[in-house]
Amino acid sequence: MSAHWAALRTDAACDSSLRIDPQGIAVWALQFSPRVAKVGQAVLLEVEQSLRLYGGEERVHQLVEAGAAELGVLRLAWGPTSLAALACARVGILDGFAGPISKVLDPLPFECVEAVGAHGATLARLGCRTLADVRKLPRGGISRRFDSQLLLALDQAYGLRPEGYPWVSLPEKFSAKLELPGRVDTATGLMFGARRLLVQMGGWLMARHVGVTAFTLHWCHDTMRSKDAGDGGEITVRTAQATQNVEHLTRLLTENLATVTLKAPAGDLVLSATEVTPFIEQSGSLIPDDRTTGEAIDLVLERIEARLGKKRVLRPVLTEDTRMEWMNHWQPMNTKSPVTKVRQVPGPQPTWILKKPLRLDVKGDRPLYQGPLQLLLGPERVEGGWWHRVKDAEGNQQALNVARDYWVALSQHAGALWIFQQRLPKDAVASWFLHGLFA
Amino acid sequence: MPVLLQRIVNAESPHGVDASHPFDVRQLPNSVSQAIWRGTEVGQSEHAVVSSGFEALDAQLPGGGWPCNAVTELLQSQPSLCEWRLLAPALAGLVSTGGQILLVGPPKRPHAPGLMKLGITEKSLVWIAADTPAERLWTTEQLVKANPRGGAILAWLPQARVEQLRRLQVHAQSCDCPVFLFRPEDAQLDASPAPLRVLATLGIDWQLQVQIIKRKGALMDGSISLPSIPGTLASVFTPRLMRPSQLIVKAMEPTNVSTLGSTTNRRRLRQLAAH
Repeated sequence: MSAHWAALRTDAACDSSLRIDPQGIAVWALQFSPRVAKVGQAVLLEVEQSLRLYGGEERVHQLVEAGAAELGVLRLAWGPTSLAALACARVGILDGFAGPISKVLDPLPFECVEAVGAHGATLARLGCRTLADVRKLPRGGISRRFDSQLLLALDQAYGLRPEGYPWVSLPEKFSAKLELPGRVDTATGLMFGARRLLVQMGGWLMARHVGVTAFTLHWCHDTMRSKDAGDGGEITVRTAQATQNVEHLTRLLTENLATVTLKAPAGDLVLSATEVTPFIEQSGSLIPDDRTTGEAIDLVLERIEARLGKKRVLRPVLTEDTRMEWMNHWQPMNTKSPVTKVRQVPGPQPTWILKKPLRLDVKGDRPLYQGPLQLLLGPERVEGGWWHRVKDAEGNQQALNVARDYWVALSQHAGALWIFQQRLPKDAVASWFLHGLFA
Repeated sequence: MPVLLQRIVNAESPHGVDASHPFDVRQLPNSVSQAIWRGTEVGQSEHAVVSSGFEALDAQLPGGGWPCNAVTELLQSQPSLCEWRLLAPALAGLVSTGGQILLVGPPKRPHAPGLMKLGITEKSLVWIAADTPAERLWTTEQLVKANPRGGAILAWLPQARVEQLRRLQVHAQSCDCPVFLFRPEDAQLDASPAPLRVLATLGIDWQLQVQIIKRKGALMDGSISLPSIPGTLASVFTPRLMRPSQLIVKAMEPTNVSTLGSTTNRRRLRQLAAH
């Protein structure tokens, strides 16, 4: 059976200061295939069975190479056997499929295969330099002179014997740690490291077929911190819909981190997926559908909410109340709204209302708002609210009782208005308030 | 074909067709006559439009409705004057097909029970309380880029500058929903990249005076009056209240006051209102 291996070397990172955890790479790689093995500092990945799923060899190569580059893996190679791929990765050949396997491997120095390299001193004294030289030696002699591992490795590298590895199993929960190359002083500076962890999490989500609804980024302050800074801090980001989209998660985290101030420089990052739910992927369509262009509106609103703050992106909730202020209140998106059906209030209702009724001047019993008002329709009496008690600043109970006569009034400049007159005991003078506009 | 071309070339010549007769487009081949646009015609929109709900207004708007794929400027003398009266018929149509109405920085608190009576259900409303001009612009741009299909974006941008509007207009070209920007009346003196600019003022007797300052095609002279009784007041108004201008005139006349002088002023007002 043919095989399609990739070898990713984690010991040769693009910047030596940032160490890459092979376990993290292995978890990320599990999205492509369940056949992922960790050998020393390298991660091996066999994708033969997944080629069709991902749309062919080219596409898989692109995906793996792009992802690996983002995770900081610099040395990556493809090959028909795992040891061949690893040998290519060691010398820097990208594609081990360029020719027949013996042509590719023969000119490589024998240190490329680890089990052969272990006997490097003896082999060098025998005059061997390349793998081809080692293969030319008599097999019987090799098996007697060296251990059995050398011949086995050589045969496995050339595809003459099957290979087997203990596969890496997918962890139940995702939590990954990253040691930052230097101390980071600003919260936005954490994004560089957080992005790598998010890419890893994206791989884990794909492999488990789940979407994340909440994830936590935890940072640890380094030892040089001041006493009152504490050990570290964390930020939890929630999404409305389960998602695997790393780009969206990155943008959400960026917006959220923009509002955070670090108490002390941070040294380590830990990312964990706190809440996950099963994810149903949208099936691809044969006919190109233009409806998928642009982001889904919920994602954008979520991003806007992350920048402006929770209480700034609002949806209305209706309650059965005759008082204008409590008929309709606004709550942040994604909070559960009551499912009870609310009956509509009879009679006219304005389209804009003022948060606090505006007291109107009165000239000869006529309320004024941008000139005298003409009362058109009313009164509509709204009374009640004695049951609605709140505590004021001094801690006293106060009933939000209203007794009002609402009128529709016409202003020459401002159009139709919804004004009310407070009903007071007989001798008191009632004043007029503007409460809404029929715009 | 050469004969026909000859006729077109000669159309202006004195010995060809009579100059007093207007040139009949129908004698041209179909493809040519369709491509001809006369300066007196309202332009056509190659993009989708959303009917405004007013026949008189649709007739004057290029393409026959509020344009998609472009920003539309609505100018008013003061904020919260007649937004819903002008737009509610169009928005109600969008909401009935599942669209979202996104409000960016409205001047006052939207009142969902009142909007529901206009056909804008509470599920379709999103209020983004962006306060500073920079926040409003950023939010509007994000929404326009996201292309919320089937809905509408309503943004109040009293302080937007020309280059900021141009940026929005460029983004709006790939946005398949109408984008309305509310700006003050003074802005009509400034140039604007919006292909459609509409000035709305209140007329007498529940009419909206709509003037199209800028549009594709011929300039519009004067303004059009749209009958529009705000909200659900139409169902509770008496025929007298449908013509409040007469009421006001009566109330202002001093003779009228003397006839009602026996009663208190407030009671007079109530009587007027009750009729």
